[in-house]
Amino acid sequence: MTVLDARPGAASEPLPHLEPRRPRGVLNLLVGTDHKVIGLAYMITAFGFYMFGGLLAMGMRTELAETGQQLVSNGVYNELFTMHGSIMLLLFAGPFAFGLANFLVPLQIGAKDLAFPRLNLISYWVYLGGGLVMSSGFLTADGAADFGWFAYVPLAGAVRSPGLGGDLWLCGLLLTGTSGILTAVNLLASVLTMRAPGMTMFRLPIFTWNMVATSVLVLLVFPVVAAAGVMLLADRHLDGHIFDVANGGSAILWQHLFWFFGHPEVYVLVLPYFGVVTEVFAVFSRRPVYGYLGLVLATLSICALSVGVWAHHMFATGAVLLPFFGATTMLIAVPTGVKFFNWIGTMWGGKLNYEPAMLFAMAFLIVFVVGGVTGVMLASPGIDFHVTDSYFVVAHFHYVLFGGSVFALFSGIYYWFPKFTGRMLNRRLGYIHLALTFVGFNLTFFVQHILGLEGMPRRVADYQASDGWETLNRISTAGAFLLGISTLPFLWNVWRSWRGPLDPAAADPWDGHTLEWVTASPPSAHNFDHPLPPIRSERPVWDAKHAQKTTGDAPDVADAAPGERSAT
Amino acid sequence: MLAAAALAATGLGGCTARYGVPESAATQGDDFLFLWRIFVPIAIVVVLLIWVLVLLVVIRGRRWRRAEGEPSQHQYDGKLEVAYLVSPLIVVAILFGLSTARTADITRLDPNPQLEVEVQGFQWSWSFIYLDRGVAVTGVPGSVPVLRLPLGQTVQFDLVTVDVIHSFWVPEFLTKRDLVPGIDNAIDITPTRVGRWTSRCAEYCGLNHTDMIFTVEVMEPDAFEAWLDDAAAGRVDDVTLSTVPATTRAEREAARG
Repeated sequence: MTVLDARPGAASEPLPHLEPRRPRGVLNLLVGTDHKVIGLAYMITAFGFYMFGGLLAMGMRTELAETGQQLVSNGVYNELFTMHGSIMLLLFAGPFAFGLANFLVPLQIGAKDLAFPRLNLISYWVYLGGGLVMSSGFLTADGAADFGWFAYVPLAGAVRSPGLGGDLWLCGLLLTGTSGILTAVNLLASVLTMRAPGMTMFRLPIFTWNMVATSVLVLLVFPVVAAAGVMLLADRHLDGHIFDVANGGSAILWQHLFWFFGHPEVYVLVLPYFGVVTEVFAVFSRRPVYGYLGLVLATLSICALSVGVWAHHMFATGAVLLPFFGATTMLIAVPTGVKFFNWIGTMWGGKLNYEPAMLFAMAFLIVFVVGGVTGVMLASPGIDFHVTDSYFVVAHFHYVLFGGSVFALFSGIYYWFPKFTGRMLNRRLGYIHLALTFVGFNLTFFVQHILGLEGMPRRVADYQASDGWETLNRISTAGAFLLGISTLPFLWNVWRSWRGPLDPAAADPWDGHTLEWVTASPPSAHNFDHPLPPIRSERPVWDAKHAQKTTGDAPDVADAAPGERSAT
Repeated sequence: MLAAAALAATGLGGCTARYGVPESAATQGDDFLFLWRIFVPIAIVVVLLIWVLVLLVVIRGRRWRRAEGEPSQHQYDGKLEVAYLVSPLIVVAILFGLSTARTADITRLDPNPQLEVEVQGFQWSWSFIYLDRGVAVTGVPGSVPVLRLPLGQTVQFDLVTVDVIHSFWVPEFLTKRDLVPGIDNAIDITPTRVGRWTSRCAEYCGLNHTDMIFTVEVMEPDAFEAWLDDAAAGRVDDVTLSTVPATTRAEREAARG
């Protein structure tokens, strides 16, 4: 802020504006349409679901620590893995990303709020309602849904899964899907129409770019799964027979509809977090995003390819064209590989600042690549036939979705927490959190590759002593408990920073690049109290701070397009 | 350095490395291993490449951090960007070619298999029907059905579900295929070694999915024929055995249309 004020010609007086009447306290949470409050509500709610889903996982790992039954029956075990998957994918990782986007996208594009603030509020409430509806299956007599998070028919039909839990699961899916669609519309409308003057599409911060890509994917695939959910509800209650083979329906149709959603959903869950680490690498290396244009194009090509790969989940059904889906799936490795070089190129030659945010992002690089290469293996039908539906796949997607999304998510929290709250997180607790998470994660999931290759199917509540899988399962269970414990220093860190009178954050504690760092921490109700710096590249704040150091004349230097600036 | 790592990765195991999978017991498993022994070393090299680059950033970063002034703001290198776009493209193109060729070997069906077995999956056990002889092995509560197979003969499995989706997976054969309502799936397996292994349903199928276990026993052809003769004649005392009308392959193909 002070740097900006020192810039010649910048207004040093706040702009006059009308302060709206802001509801306070609980009322603010219920009816406030401030995107920042809604964003925080999303993130807190999603993190609550993360901890709930994590507890379910620890229940599963406890059951698998030894042969025989320890904690839960087969039936309860089935509920645990169904709800663990559903919660983590539908109620945690995606909504958390939407929470980040809610808070950050308007700030990054220099807007006062999202395009439709009231729509935004209802999105949140529909999401929360959907999450509670889905989870409430645990309170019914027959328990929660127990047909797996991809709800294959005929198992998920009324005959084989008659319980109320299944209906609640489907209704929850429809509600959270609707919420996602509304938020995607809102984000797209905001980015397309409310960017500050000077911010062209190719000057958008990468996080905002990735939310654009994510929103497009959401609009393409969420309506499909919502339609499929309605069809399944019709089968369950209205004698629809859509998926009923005995009456001319098609069971495999459900898999096509579900995975047409399900695979792009994985990109909905990782693209926002790719955006997070991209920003973190740049800021904590004091470098621009290396190959910005190529990175954006890589993200868009991931989007395009991701809607043509769904049937690689169905190789073993014997009902899909193997070479086509093998080829499209392997091709996705190319733009993803490009991103790795962008990230490393961003750090290359930079002044690295090893804050917890940066270390979480580097840990993301180290573990996510493992999930990437096993993904290429799964793209080969000949290999997939052996490893699909085994623990190898469980290990693979946890390396992608935990190693990818969750590590990057924590990186984002450590990076933006000062902006969210105006307070700094404790660095030492951050390092402890990272170390425990990194060790716990790899202990839990690396050994699962081996279990799967040796023949352990996923979704089994037990195995036999003669299988020889007890040692590896115990290692995995120990890791899972470490992973559970790793959340405690994080929660304590957030609590002591948020509630205690400690460590107020400056507007721009990390020397940030993007517009959220020119305003106060936390930003005021209208986000920006001062005129924005001129936007002549994807990092206007950096340009404003460094203009004088190079030539002493801000607009001229910053006016260069990204491609030309590389020559200087 | 990376080339050395690649050599170490392949040299470590050589042609016998299985990278965690069971010893193959079928020619189809050998095809899997062919692909596996190419994909895993390449995967290890890619992971090491990224890890080494991150390590280099950390090591060389000590010098970068001490440097005067701001770091270079260099952002674009056309040639390098093309290189890191094209090189993964070449790698996946090669992998795709190899994968497609070998996958075709795994999915190929012999028009005249030496034995045809119908595999029926149901909640929560299996039925194995030796169609030519009308012998059925069906898992009943408290028993584990045994799928007996002759060494060296190509066996065609017709995969049929009675209720929900199941998946037929013998880890030692290194392949699996689903039993889906409305889809006529078949796979060929040619066993290459004698043995006895535990197998499980691989597609989640409801309450007791965990307990949907069967045993595979690959026998010498003579012993297998003797057992099948005895079973067809009702001379074996086994609760899982029953007989059904025998059919010939020509009759079955006519019935399938």
